[in-house]
Amino acid sequence: MKTFRIGVDVGGTFTDVVMVNELTGEFHYTKTPTTHDDLTEGVLKGLDEILQIGNVEMKDIDYIIHGTTIGTNAIIEGKGALVGLITTAGFEDVLEIRRVARPQEAAFDFSCDNPAPLVPRHLRKGVIERVNSKGEIHTPLDEASVLSVIQVFKENHVDAIVISLLFSFLNQTHEKRIKEICKKELPGVSVSISSEICPEFREYERTCTTVMNGYLGPVIKEYMDKLIDCLKSKYGEVTLHIIQSSGGTMAAHVAGDYAAHLINSGPAGGAIATAFISTLTKNEMAIGADMGGTTFDISIIDKNMPKTTTWGGVSNYPIKLPMVDLKTIGAGGGSIAWVDVAGALNVGPESAGSNPGPACYGWGGEKPTVSDCNLALGRLNPEFFLGGKLPLYPEKAHSAIKNYIADKMDISVEGAAIGVLRIVNANMAKGISRNSVERGYDLREFSLVAMGGAAALHAVDIARDLGMARVIVPSMSGNFSAVGFVVADIQHDYVKTFMKKDHEVIPEEFLQAFLEMEKDALLQMENEKVSVQNIELTWSADLRYEGQSWELNAPIELSKKVDVDYIKKIAQDFHQLHQTVYSYSEPMETVEFVNLRVRAKGKNRPITFSSEKTQITPENSYLKGKRNVYFEHTGWEMIPVFDRYQLPEKERIVGPAIIEEAISTTLIPPDSSGVMDEFGNIIIEFETEND
Amino acid sequence: MKYKADAVTMQVIRYALEAVADDMGYNLMRMGRTTIVKEIMDINCGVLAADGGILAQAHLCPLMIFSLPETAANMIRQVEKFNDGDIIISNDPYLGGQHLLDVQLFSPVIIEDKPIAFVANIAHQLDMGGAVPGGVAGGLTEIYQEGLRIPFVKLYQKGEEDPQIFSFISNNIRIPEKTMEDIRAQAATTMIGVERIKALVLKYGQDVFLKCTSMLNQYSEKKVRAFIESVPDGDYTGIDYLDDDGIVDTPVKIQLNVHIRGDEMAVDFDGSSPQTKGNVNCPWSCTKGGVFYTMVGIVDPYMALNSGTFAPIKVSSKKGLVTNPNLPAGVTARSQTMTKIVEAMLRAMSGVVPDRIVAGSHGQACTNNFSGIHPETNKRFSYIEIQGGGGGARPDKDGPDGQDLHLGRFMNTPVEAAEIEYPVMIERYEFIKDSGGAGKYRGGVSTRRDIRFLTDVTWARYSDRQKFKPLGIFGGKDGSTSSLILNPGTSEEQKCKSKGVDQIKAGDLLSICLPGSGGYGPPEERQLQAVQADVIAGKISVQSALEDYKVVLDENLNIDKTATDFLRSKKEALHEA
Repeated sequence: MKTFRIGVDVGGTFTDVVMVNELTGEFHYTKTPTTHDDLTEGVLKGLDEILQIGNVEMKDIDYIIHGTTIGTNAIIEGKGALVGLITTAGFEDVLEIRRVARPQEAAFDFSCDNPAPLVPRHLRKGVIERVNSKGEIHTPLDEASVLSVIQVFKENHVDAIVISLLFSFLNQTHEKRIKEICKKELPGVSVSISSEICPEFREYERTCTTVMNGYLGPVIKEYMDKLIDCLKSKYGEVTLHIIQSSGGTMAAHVAGDYAAHLINSGPAGGAIATAFISTLTKNEMAIGADMGGTTFDISIIDKNMPKTTTWGGVSNYPIKLPMVDLKTIGAGGGSIAWVDVAGALNVGPESAGSNPGPACYGWGGEKPTVSDCNLALGRLNPEFFLGGKLPLYPEKAHSAIKNYIADKMDISVEGAAIGVLRIVNANMAKGISRNSVERGYDLREFSLVAMGGAAALHAVDIARDLGMARVIVPSMSGNFSAVGFVVADIQHDYVKTFMKKDHEVIPEEFLQAFLEMEKDALLQMENEKVSVQNIELTWSADLRYEGQSWELNAPIELSKKVDVDYIKKIAQDFHQLHQTVYSYSEPMETVEFVNLRVRAKGKNRPITFSSEKTQITPENSYLKGKRNVYFEHTGWEMIPVFDRYQLPEKERIVGPAIIEEAISTTLIPPDSSGVMDEFGNIIIEFETEND
Repeated sequence: MKYKADAVTMQVIRYALEAVADDMGYNLMRMGRTTIVKEIMDINCGVLAADGGILAQAHLCPLMIFSLPETAANMIRQVEKFNDGDIIISNDPYLGGQHLLDVQLFSPVIIEDKPIAFVANIAHQLDMGGAVPGGVAGGLTEIYQEGLRIPFVKLYQKGEEDPQIFSFISNNIRIPEKTMEDIRAQAATTMIGVERIKALVLKYGQDVFLKCTSMLNQYSEKKVRAFIESVPDGDYTGIDYLDDDGIVDTPVKIQLNVHIRGDEMAVDFDGSSPQTKGNVNCPWSCTKGGVFYTMVGIVDPYMALNSGTFAPIKVSSKKGLVTNPNLPAGVTARSQTMTKIVEAMLRAMSGVVPDRIVAGSHGQACTNNFSGIHPETNKRFSYIEIQGGGGGARPDKDGPDGQDLHLGRFMNTPVEAAEIEYPVMIERYEFIKDSGGAGKYRGGVSTRRDIRFLTDVTWARYSDRQKFKPLGIFGGKDGSTSSLILNPGTSEEQKCKSKGVDQIKAGDLLSICLPGSGGYGPPEERQLQAVQADVIAGKISVQSALEDYKVVLDENLNIDKTATDFLRSKKEALHEA
């Protein structure tokens, strides 16, 4: 019986693999170096290892869920496909004009630019046609103009064609006809049309999203085909799923057609896993904090669900598709600390990354990083980093901090290191504060879920500063994204721009729009072999008051019968939602129905962590020893170090203490204490600062 | 006390103050009702010291921040006693404000019965009364026509709103229900800010808080002084012009003089035009803002902004100039002048730090308002259209094409959003070929948008640069002028003035073309491939490649190396002779 699932997260440095027994919730995990020349190599090695560790065979595997950053990398490195873009004549420059705004961070920076368009001007071609704002054909399609554009694409050997015409989301006729012509004239070249990829108003965002799909499609398809082939020749038939930026999965064989959905797939796994932990530990409001080598990713879990947005993007390119709402700030273990000309201490945004890496790695890095400071203060164990796989050099950390900070500021090395940690913590706290306040949340209700190798060293200080409720260091926090992969469901999102005022909505039309999207959804689920009883459909609508131009996404009740009262109820619920989010509502105002959405989920068998725990054991079995750790107010202090794998359930560890495991280290600072729960998560409670 | 006032605590407090300012900004955007607050984000928030100087600001509209300290300093002189829970309002350009639409609120952080700091915010409101709905009209001559001018009054006393002041204001403005709610949102935001600062003071103690904030000011001041010290002493001048003031058809001169001595800098406006009849006059805080904005960009765009940052820069202007007008000069269209102050400042500094400045940008704000009755709903509509022009070429790369302006970050209205909402059809939205000034680094090209009207509309606008081009620098050529043309290419073609109010008939087409920007360095030094790429991308014509850049391209747009070398060497020979 196929009762195991494997999640594989290909990251910048490591490929993380986890495997779960669907019936018992028992997990296994491993890490293997990412093989940049050929990513499939590392994936296959990881799969091999995990099968060995769990002592199972590929035939026992229900399916594999894969996450990769190849989409993001292709954008950053400019290595996507050569795309030809067809627009309405007169609007070829929309992709490059964007919304005319400078990047937000560039308020005073004359040199800061938006990224170059993904299609150069000579491959952006207009055709004669026009649909008006009511969806009527104002100027019929001139097919001769299409053929002359295709001629240019032929001469330039484009890999992919993207078609994005004005108001195509109201009337697809012209886009579909052009697609037909392209398929006939340029067989084998992929064609993405905006009315299918992103049928929403706002021509720039729709075009950019569709271009992203065309730009990444061939890259993703090539990779997926190769991986599927490799798996097939090694193991026979294997079911492979891909994680999307929305946090759901899809079948690998369709991924090439939905490339724009796969941008942030790795970090999305972290948010899904955070939601999973929030449900498991009954902390329905949580902030996921993933601190890696160069970045700190923040996700918000509201009532056990990750917040999603349709206003996300990558590298300053907007992608108007539902995706997990992740905010990233430039702070990580590799962030470099430096003293500026006027004598102030700063941390980041420059990072030593993995090349040359922190000074203490001994790979040639000379500048002090956050990791060097953690090591210099005794918080990291030089002999047990990655379970001892990577030896650390405390003397290199010490001299980096001394040369670059302590001597320049005329303070001790300890003072300098603690200063770096306080500053990076303040920066991370600022990021969390901003992203929760912006959305109207009160952090006092939230738990901070610390994931990634480094977050658990900083989490309590950050959470305390923000007045948050508690810190949770989940089991397998170092492979957390991959944990998210295996608990995710298959998911597809559908949207239709509706654009009607509440009193103009014709119930039949409204219902029809949903039924059409449901039809598409069911077809897709069938294509991915989801059985009918496991399909879950939800409806929502993007609504706003007349005159506003940002919408709020409101869940609405599924119904076979839609009448005027049903529409009224939606508007009433919207006033309530608006009140919650924006702290006011205007019940007398007209409500506009902008977009209608259907989300289809193919539910997988739910997973839970196994709660089988070690028996109560004497302290000497989990106390690894003691070591000297430096704290701001008390200086050097000998504190106990515990082995996370041996820690018994419900044993309260009173700070200061350290809990070690191979892939992460947890600091329980003074005035806080941690308890291992029945699922292996460490729950840390603390006194707030102003008590 | 737990923490000492040292360099680390200083930085931690800086982040905390920035977080308070930013969070106030997000709260205001969240609670605000009007599109100007929620989308255009024409707002800012700050934390101020007890003397009114900036301690930290939110990362929002840059131009909005500079009036807060100016206004606060006046407020501290005028208001006798600050109590916990007081919120003071003002929008007066003659008390440190911007234009009347920009409403500022201040609230003291009271510790032991005296203000230890203030929190403040400023937001562009939908309407503050006056002759024209929405207020963004050129062609007015006195501030009394521009709206309600509010002196320092306590809108809230000890946490309670004063109903008399609320009704006084709401009686004098259009659509008061929206604007008064936005003002309440501003008030709620300051209350949150006050609590956050109190918590911060409690955490670190008053003494450490005050010491660290004063260290922060010294730190920024040191940074700016070090920069000024590093450049040569001297006197430098930059000049730019407005086409007209919207009433009188003569150019308005902006002359900006920089005097660098040691680690200090003085800036004055001697030689600038007297204040104008039309309302392009620049309130004093806006004039200073133009100078400060430019200096932040030159010194370090990411440095901590506080009163120390600006201490080494003394800005002065004689009263009665367009840069420091006397009552009752109108000021609503000040953005046309403020942008020129930035241009003049960049020009003056080009002699000091040629590798840190940029060439002339489109340097104006093309703001159009179309209002009328929608034929389908019979309801009044008001459509604001604002577009991007060319950004100035830079010392190491081209200017950004089609971008918002110095001082303000904004977004355009999507074609589809405009057509869904208003009775218009947009027929063209594209870059204008050859609008960027030629140069080693090319000036940014500008945009053209053609709008056909499906009903009669009233068209109010202010813009500029129909006569005076954005300036090229160090041999770079000037950018293109702007134009507003009704029914181009037809027998009814009509060129329209940059400022004013006109009627447009149903069926007419208005073509809005923004100014391009100036180039940086001589065009004949531009890399051949860059010229060729610009031709292929349609940003310059083959003719411009030949005439401006001395690059010869054949019919397949390949570079004719021999002909190009010949042309370019001839040019060099000419130079040497």
